[in-house]
Amino acid sequence: MFLVLLMPRTEPKASPRLIQAGSRMIAGLLFSVLTIVLSSCSLLPMGPMPQTPGEPDSAMVSGVPFFAQDELQCGPAALAMALNWSGIAVQPSDLSPEVYSPGLKGSLQSSLIGSARRHGRVAYPITGSEALLAEVSAGHPVIVLVNLSFFWYPKWHYAVVIGYDQQQGEVILHSGLTAREVLSSRVFMNLWRRGEYWGLLVLPPDRLPVTGEEVAWLAAVSGLEKTGQRRAAAIGYATALERWKTSFAAWMGLGNSRYRLHDLEGSAEAFHQATLLEPENGMAFNNLAHVLAEQGKRQEALAAAQRAVDLGGSSLDTFRQTLEEIMQK
Amino acid sequence: MLKKLIRPVSLFLVLSFILLDFSVQTAMAQMVDTGTVIAVQQQQADRERVAAFLGREDVQQVMIQHGVDAAEAQKRVDSLSNAELAKIANSMDQLPAGASAAGAIVGAVVFIFVVLLITDLLGLTHVFSFVNAQN
Repeated sequence: MFLVLLMPRTEPKASPRLIQAGSRMIAGLLFSVLTIVLSSCSLLPMGPMPQTPGEPDSAMVSGVPFFAQDELQCGPAALAMALNWSGIAVQPSDLSPEVYSPGLKGSLQSSLIGSARRHGRVAYPITGSEALLAEVSAGHPVIVLVNLSFFWYPKWHYAVVIGYDQQQGEVILHSGLTAREVLSSRVFMNLWRRGEYWGLLVLPPDRLPVTGEEVAWLAAVSGLEKTGQRRAAAIGYATALERWKTSFAAWMGLGNSRYRLHDLEGSAEAFHQATLLEPENGMAFNNLAHVLAEQGKRQEALAAAQRAVDLGGSSLDTFRQTLEEIMQK
Repeated sequence: MLKKLIRPVSLFLVLSFILLDFSVQTAMAQMVDTGTVIAVQQQQADRERVAAFLGREDVQQVMIQHGVDAAEAQKRVDSLSNAELAKIANSMDQLPAGASAAGAIVGAVVFIFVVLLITDLLGLTHVFSFVNAQN
């Protein structure tokens, strides 16, 4: 590819000396291109993909509809498949304005995440084949970013992994124009590696990833909260508390999203739980004080606000403002 | 004509700015939002993980090879900024789970860490502005 472009440029009006220099340059270029090519396709070992011991040898996610993509529209198509599986009926063409960037002739990962959130779904990034196989065997389709070519001539592509078979060494994807495309795991891992093993789960807020980690899940749910999907966020935090019962941040998030849903009683209860979990953390007392004040419980609110100020910490300025505001009421 | 307009227009602008400011303050300005809570928790978790990492036997051995006092390194974790801790914790995430290659990569991460510590000790913190000097 590079050589074809270079040859005509150097050859036409070159003197012998220049030709010599040119050919040396070409040799150098050829060498470096070869090095790049060879290093980038240093083949991954044959055999099954790395997997957590004890996981099933093969799995297939059911209920993932296939949408053939229009040109350059693999992002909207992949997201539509995942969203439909999660219970949101959308067409790729509905998603295109939210996801596709015409200037880039493609879709950014952050746009996929943002669009999933706008539809009230938790966008949870994963990485590596262990997580991929575990999630697929738990029945969760995974959007993957692959590079179909090399890094110096990238052809980025989104596809949806819906199954695998470790014995056969196969990965099954909805990709491009092909439903249930079967790729050898070795090829898939080479392509996915060039996409830096980026994968995305699009889940209803009451469904935790099996490989989910507390802080990552809460961060994903707080993204929903920021997008204004408060009801979905509240469900996401409550779901987190089913697995991580002592999660301070989950109670805080639940309190905040209930507050925004005008559920003062539920909000106060959540912040109260947070204060029990971390009695030395002023943030819970600060937020509790606000809710109590709005409920008209001035004395309790003052006590909570004072407690936050006494505890201090990185948000001390906020705590002081809270106290002042409640005293003025 | 213009002069006549200036007073009412500026009065209107001043008033509207005051009102705007008020509305922002009353709208939950002093609630700690969930993102902040998570960020603080993440920082604590990062700090604990880096400390635990430095406490590992194989890591301590590499540090001894580089002539670094492990106890001093542990102490210095506290003086690292949040951004720096996140960076180290992130590079720890990239370590493969397999045991075979771990030695070399652990060495690399510790090496970065050791470089930071040494520059810190030498007072070269203007090179790495994210390291908080201890004095």
